Amino acid sequence: MAEPHRRRRSISDIMRRYAADLEMLSEELGEALRAEGPSWDLKECCVEALCNVSVAPDEVVITADMPNTDPDTINVEQTNRDALEIRAEMKRKVRFQELGITHRDGEFRFFRCQTHVPVPVDMKRMKTTFKRGILTIHLPRTKGARTKVH
Amino acid sequence: MLHGLPDVGLVGLIATSHIISQMRLNEIAYVDSDLLPPVVVLHEGLPHSPLRIFGDSNLLATFGEAAIPADSIQPVIRKLVEWSQSKRVRLMVSMGGIPVQERQDLESVKVYGVASVPSLIKTLSDKGVEILHSGFLVGPYALLIRYCAERNIPAIALLAQSFYNYPDPEAAAAAIKEFSKITGIQIDVSKLVEGGEEIRLKARDMMKRTTEELNRMKKTQEYDLPLYV
Repeated sequence: MAEPHRRRRSISDIMRRYAADLEMLSEELGEALRAEGPSWDLKECCVEALCNVSVAPDEVVITADMPNTDPDTINVEQTNRDALEIRAEMKRKVRFQELGITHRDGEFRFFRCQTHVPVPVDMKRMKTTFKRGILTIHLPRTKGARTKVH
Repeated sequence: MLHGLPDVGLVGLIATSHIISQMRLNEIAYVDSDLLPPVVVLHEGLPHSPLRIFGDSNLLATFGEAAIPADSIQPVIRKLVEWSQSKRVRLMVSMGGIPVQERQDLESVKVYGVASVPSLIKTLSDKGVEILHSGFLVGPYALLIRYCAERNIPAIALLAQSFYNYPDPEAAAAAIKEFSKITGIQIDVSKLVEGGEEIRLKARDMMKRTTEELNRMKKTQEYDLPLYV
């Protein structure tokens, strides 16, 4: 019996398919890696701040949502070549009960956020601002070699 | 009927929760579906559905306490619209956020309006709400407006400029103010503004889960430019 006719796929179709599969896999992997603990650490008395990293052509911008934070206590530290840790003290400590949880006991005094910087940046030129409880960190990107187009 | 479902900045959820509490609305119904996550919300030791309906004789409010999975949004919203139609709801109101970059630099929050029928566009304009003329909407509110338009049900969405993935009580307060202007139902938002930091702290986990679902439904398409040639 003759084999059913199969449409030949172009290299770009195949690459696109692979790219889509890869993207889905990396999303799943990311989720698996993020999985899955509480967003607080009783030992360290800290809660994890919501955090966002965006890459612009000239800089990487990291923001962190840190309500109830004393701005004078914010500390941003480079923990690795491509990683930052943000830590700040709350204006007042918060107990589980105040967050509506009665079956746990403990209090929180700090925000913490560890984040990966996805492209090379110049950490020495880091600039930070804090407004409406949002910490914004600007990290200029380091430039690679440039090619002139003729 | 109001809809407070998890979306950007949790604007609709925070706003609806505040209205339910201010107006002391009682739980009158809940959604039971295999499409919702296997979550039970405990209140005073008793189990509740993560998607409930509160109300009195004048106002109904949908309140979702767990992010609706991206794959389930269409059937869940379609059912909600059908149910509302069967109850002869006169106006559907969704309050939500429209993400803006550098939201923290905005001194005041703008609220944009969208409607399911032309007469409501005029009502919104007459009340001073700026119309979102073109662009994309993605997620529960997009579907609410679409399904209502298909059935000719009067519906509006009030979308306040907000953070994308941080809870935004200030945007919720701005949306409520517009809701009051349009419906004549007066809601005091001072608690929402004064207690904003506490709400942001409480809402972190909910925001995190919601962001995961928003990413799955490609919510960032709202930043895209529409193609009109």
